[in-house]
Formats: sequence, C-alpha cells, structure tokens
Amino acid sequence: MDRRHFVAGSAAAAAALAVHPSFAQDAYPSHAITFINPFPPGGAADVVGRPLVAALEPIIKQPCIIDTKAGAAGQVGGQVAANAKPDGYTLLIHIVSISGFAEVDKLFDRAPKFTRADFIPIARLTAGPMVLVVNAEQPYKNLKELVDDSKANPDKLIFSSSGLYGALHLPTALFMKAAGIKMRHLPTNGGGPALTAILGNNAQVLSSSIAAASTQVKAGKLRALASFGATRSSAMPDVPTMKELGYDVEFSLWVGVFAPKGTPAPIVKTLGETIKKAAETDLFKTTIQNIGDEVAYLDQAAFAKFWDEDAKRVEAAVQSIGRVQG
Amino acid sequence: MEVTLLNLMHGFSVAFQLDNLWYAFLGCLVGTLVGVLPGIGPLSGISILLPVTFGLNATQAVIMLAGIYYGSQYGGSTTSILMRIPGEASSVMTCIDGNAMARKGRAGSALCIAAVGSFIAGTFGVIMLTIVAPPLATIALRFGPPEYTALLILGLVFLAYMSSTSLVRTLLMACVGLMLGMIGIDNMTGHFRYSFDLVELGDGIGIVPVAVGLFGLGEILSTPSHKVTGEVISPKYRELLPNRQEWKESAWPIARGSVLGFIIGIIPGSAHVISSFLSYALERRVSKHPEEFGKGAVAGVAGPESANNAASTGAFVPMLALGIPTGPITAVLIGALMIHGVSVGPQLVNDHPDVFWGFVASMYVGNLMLLLLNLPLVGLFVSVLRIPYAYLYPLIIMFCIIGVYEVNHSVVDVWIMLIMGVVGYALRKFSFDPAPLVLGLVIAPIFEQSLRQSLIMSNGNYLIFFSRPISAALIAICIILLAMSAMTYMLKRKDWRDKLAEAEAGEPSA
Repeated sequence: MDRRHFVAGSAAAAAALAVHPSFAQDAYPSHAITFINPFPPGGAADVVGRPLVAALEPIIKQPCIIDTKAGAAGQVGGQVAANAKPDGYTLLIHIVSISGFAEVDKLFDRAPKFTRADFIPIARLTAGPMVLVVNAEQPYKNLKELVDDSKANPDKLIFSSSGLYGALHLPTALFMKAAGIKMRHLPTNGGGPALTAILGNNAQVLSSSIAAASTQVKAGKLRALASFGATRSSAMPDVPTMKELGYDVEFSLWVGVFAPKGTPAPIVKTLGETIKKAAETDLFKTTIQNIGDEVAYLDQAAFAKFWDEDAKRVEAAVQSIGRVQG
Repeated sequence: MEVTLLNLMHGFSVAFQLDNLWYAFLGCLVGTLVGVLPGIGPLSGISILLPVTFGLNATQAVIMLAGIYYGSQYGGSTTSILMRIPGEASSVMTCIDGNAMARKGRAGSALCIAAVGSFIAGTFGVIMLTIVAPPLATIALRFGPPEYTALLILGLVFLAYMSSTSLVRTLLMACVGLMLGMIGIDNMTGHFRYSFDLVELGDGIGIVPVAVGLFGLGEILSTPSHKVTGEVISPKYRELLPNRQEWKESAWPIARGSVLGFIIGIIPGSAHVISSFLSYALERRVSKHPEEFGKGAVAGVAGPESANNAASTGAFVPMLALGIPTGPITAVLIGALMIHGVSVGPQLVNDHPDVFWGFVASMYVGNLMLLLLNLPLVGLFVSVLRIPYAYLYPLIIMFCIIGVYEVNHSVVDVWIMLIMGVVGYALRKFSFDPAPLVLGLVIAPIFEQSLRQSLIMSNGNYLIFFSRPISAALIAICIILLAMSAMTYMLKRKDWRDKLAEAEAGEPSA
C-alpha cells in the first residue's frame, strides 16, 4: 500500500465515522432488529420467522436476530415485547393465540399482563386453516357420525390439544359449542405431544394445522373430517369446511408481526413496506410452501381489521371454555 | 434383513459422498463446541444454523443438523467432569462420579470413558434404529399417559437406591424436588401456582438453573471451607488413558446403559433425562461395591453417559418411522426437512430413501468422527485443571451465569441459579445429596400431567393403571422391587448403606 492509498483510506474511514451519528438519527434501521419469538424453537412463530428474517436482511441491509423468549404458551415473550422500548428495534412474531391471554386473565380475575392495545399490528405473514381429524381406528367416516355419537354419548370421546386455551384447543371448543356436544379435554404441552396422543389412540379427536396432520392423513393413520377454513384448502380439497356442514365456525392458525405500542408512525410504515417485500421473495414463499403453510400476507390496515374480527372469535372460544374445574 | 442391509449399503454410498461427509463433520464439530461451551444448547445451536442450510439439499441439511444434536451429547459430559457444571439435565449424574474421579487425578480417564461409552451407545442406538425402527415405533405409540405414570413411579422407586446418603435423606430431597416441580401454570386448569405473579415462573422452575446452582455453584461456594492447598490436580499426560482395571469396570455399565437408554429414548415424550438417573441407580444396585458411588466409581460415569447417548439416538425412532416430533429438537429437525420439501411421516422411508438411509448411515460415520474428534481433545480439556483455583473458580461462576442466562434469556433463571447455589452449599454442609432433588424436579411436571391425563382418560378410575398391559407390567416391577427390598431389610438388617454410614462415621466427609 502506498502513501496516497493510505491517506485516502484514512480520510474515507474518518468521513464514514464522522457521518455515522447523523446517519443513525436519520435512517431507520441503523442497527440490528430483534424479533422476539415467544415459542420454543420449532414452533409456528419460529419456522415462519427464520425464513422471514433470512429474506428481510438483504432488503433492510441490517442484521435481524430472532430472540427466543419462550414460556407460558407465548405469554412471556408477549410481555417482554409489550414492555420493550418502542423504537422499531424490538418486534414480536406471534400467532392467533395472542388475542386470548387478556381474556383468560379476565376469567381468573388477574390483572392482564398485556392486552391487544399494547401492540401495533404490522403484517400478517401466513394463515393456515385448521382441520379436525380423528384417529383412523375410530368408526367415524364423516363429521355427522361424530356429532351424532357424541350427542348420544356425551363425554365419551377425548380430544387432545397443545395446552389449555392454546391454538389447538380453541377451534375444538368453538366446534363443540356450535355442534352442542361434549368431549373430554386431554391437554398436553405442545403440538407434537397432542399429535402423539391421537396417533396412539389415547385421544380420538384433534384440531390440528393441516401442515402437521397432512402426512399422517395421507398415510392413513388419521382421518380428516372437516376444515376450519372459509373455503376448502388446496392441500386437502376433499375435506369439507365446517361452514359447508352447517357449523358457523372459522379458525386459522396465523402468524403475524407486531410492534410495541408507541412505535413512531414513519418506522411502522418502513417496517410494513420492507416486510411486504420480504414476504414476496421466492425464498420466503417456497420455504413456507414446503412446510405446508400458506403465505397469506396482509398489510397493516388489512391485518388490523382482520385482527379485530379474529380476536372476537378467540375471545368467544375462551369464554365458551370458561374456567376449568379441576 | 437383507433388504435392510442393501438399503443401508445404499445409505452409506450417500453418506460417503464427499460433501455429505463434510457436512457430517461440520455438524459434529459444531455439536462438540455446543456441548462443551456453556451458554448454548443443541436446540439454539440447531435453530441458529437452520437458515444456513437453506442452500443445501435435504440430506445434507439433516445430516449436519442431527450431527449438532448427537455431537452435543458427547460434549456435555466435559464440563460436568472437569468443573461439576451439568450443562444439561442429562449430565447431572455424570457430575457426581465424574468430578470425583477428576479430584482423584483421573479426569482424563473419566473423559475417555465418557467418550468411548458414548460412541458404543450411539452406535448401538443406530444399529437398533436400522433393524427395528418401524415395529418398535408402533409399540412406543402405545405408551400413553397411564404407561408414563407407571414408568415415573418406577423411577421414583429406583430413586431409593440412588443416593449416597440415608433413605430418609434421599426421600426428603426427592420430596423437595417434587414440590419445586409443582410451581407454574396448572396445565389442566390454567391457574398459576406459587408463581408470585412472575410470568417467568409460569412454566415452572427450569432444570438447568437448579442443576447448575446445586452442583456447580454450590461446589464452588463450599470450596473455601475445605483445605484448598494441595488440591490442585495436575494430571500427567501419561495418565490420561483409563487403565485396564477401569476399562473392565466400565464394560458392563456401558452395555447396560446403552440398552436402557435406547428403550427410554424411543418413548415419545420428555422423560429422556431420566435415562441417566435410572442407569446410575441400576449400576449402583448391581455393583459389588455400591459404597464407591459418589467417590469416583467408574461405573457411575460409564453407565449414565452411555444411557443419555443411546436415548438421544432412540429419540430418532419415532421421528423417522412415524414423523412424530417427540421433543423440541426433533421438532426443529422435522421443520428443517419440511423446509427442504421432504414431508416427514410414516411414508418417509418409501418416499425419500436417500434422505432416510443417508441419514442413518451418516450417524454411523458421525459417531466415529466424534470419537476421533473427542479423544485428542481430552488432553487439552484436562489441562484446564492446571489453572489455579483462584483464577479458575471465578471463571466457572461466570460460565454458570452465562450458561443459565442463555437457555431462556431469562434473568429470573439466573436468580434461581444463584439461590440454588446457596441452597447447594447448605445441603453440602449438612451432607444431603442434591441428585434426588433434581430428579424430583424433572419428574414432577411429567408425573403430575400424565397422572391427571390418565384419570381424564378413565373418568377418574385408578384401575386404568392395572388394566393396560404395559403399565400393569411396570407397576408389577415396582411392587417386586419394593417387596425385595423389604425382604432384605427384614432378613438381614445390615446392607451397604449401613456399612457406608459406619464408614462415614469413622472418617467425617470433607
């Protein structure tokens, strides 16, 4: 290296350093963005979050970090995000069950740890319809047979779930309320254990995401009776929806991005635009398709509207479960 | 059988492709680091590296990610033996005799036995996986809540044999552990129990902070009260390898641990950690010198280490044969395969033989790589003990804090660890054994949940535990064990515990 290069290099470096502080104030984002994942690795928020982050990094040209704060079925991570500094550098990836925590707290006369008002919805990324499956050893060939048998023998069948008031419990609760039937609840501690319980015939009924159940349905271990979507799913076109069968129940397992309340509007706008671009990349689309989920991007306004409607369903489901006597 | 061999040959032809070998090596290397370094577990290691595999094909991705998982099981024993820090629940039992061996100047030997035991158990697990995976997995599915409950009762009965102190003290510690395990959200009703409005306590008290506090920090806090001078162990490099006597003592425990661990591993659920506890109890039960346990018994390292590695291989059985995620790690691996367009389910073997058999074959190769990777490192690791305590111990405290924080990124966990360190100090002073406490804490949530799930299934009828064949058999074993120990007690009042008590009365423990 000769002296001229050295001088030029130093000057450039000095200039870059000098420029840096004002740059930091002007352009968001100027450093790494943290996405809080409130579920253990491998959960819905994680498998959607990793490809999102991989697609987002080259767009915003800043590192994006997934910070796992699992606990209490997603409540710990939600609380951390709700109390984070609203500067756009701490965001939350959460799922449909985010709407239910405040309602559950109300049920138990607890002060809510956070409410929906603590978050600004940024974007919905995916939404996968749920499907009601039974163990293939069970005689039920369609939903009507299941409902008829449950009406004749209340509390005979057992349904498993990922946990009380969790994303796999709520749709079954809504269905039971709509059909006027009773089944016993076998809570487990995750989607995997819930699936294991029904495959071993320790439970007979489960509301599962189509992604998690489809291979077992194809292998003939489980039978899909109805889907919780507004329309039939492309992955299971033969399975009728609850609405077709006369039950006014709709439920999807969606994943969205949220910012803490008080995040400045321009930052929210930037985030919305960049996440939209990331959601439209081939990388994100193919990855989500491969895990059997459906990219169902909604921008900020549409997501806010959807969230309001969806929260009503979730709250109704929590109320229909009520306080469990135990 | 011939078909299996042909398939396996095909698998090896996949696994021996140069790039696949490279990814297996990379996975094993990262896994070893993840296992040795406190503060990053296999789960976070795999999730962080998941996006890196987006550019690879499915076989390469799963070979590398699985390598991280079983590689970390190898490395986990290192900190237990050298510093008495259990990096994860499954290496709690290794702490006890492994660290005692290190204090006798046999750290190298303990590390070698742990590595060789892990290798044998891992390879045994893969062989079993090759031969019997599909039929076994179907049987494992029959393992519902009632069977789980019976298994855990068996675990508690075994516990009575486990401790180095008296039966009363053992059960007292186990009860404290079971009570600590009740903290958190009640899974059946959603009530918060004993959580003092801390959301972080909603999931209960973590096992890692308690184990690290009781064993690692408790040990360090109590050090200044013994005579420290002259205690620095400087192992000679010549003495790194186990001697003939130690090999002989470890052979059967490794064999028994492998079988026991594999059986527990294939059961879907989160009770894998009890494999190392059960193996320890079993070894002590069959040993001719049970009084040596806790003071550096070779079998106390060989058995549990083999068991936890066989269990981690066993965990792949339900995942590969049925497509069921049995724990968070297999869930991430299934997610990784799905991202690459391979749907994991009962049809995996037929739909994607390259992935399935390539993966199985890579585990044979990977286990060999891990052995070759770990044995030369023994010399390096052991030299850590040459650092004077004045410098080493503050470093260990730092590792304890970082390690515990990183598991859940929770400051509450750090406080739990610090409090448990003080508790561990007190327990040592009053010569209570903390191991049953940890086992109680591990068992309590699973035990409670499966007991209550069973009662939901039977509408509150306790006969469910006797009407299902597997759980009835397990309960029968419990009854036989209890009857046998009652017999020995009545016929011959003096058993090894009394001898031990006498020995301890003669020379007060440090």
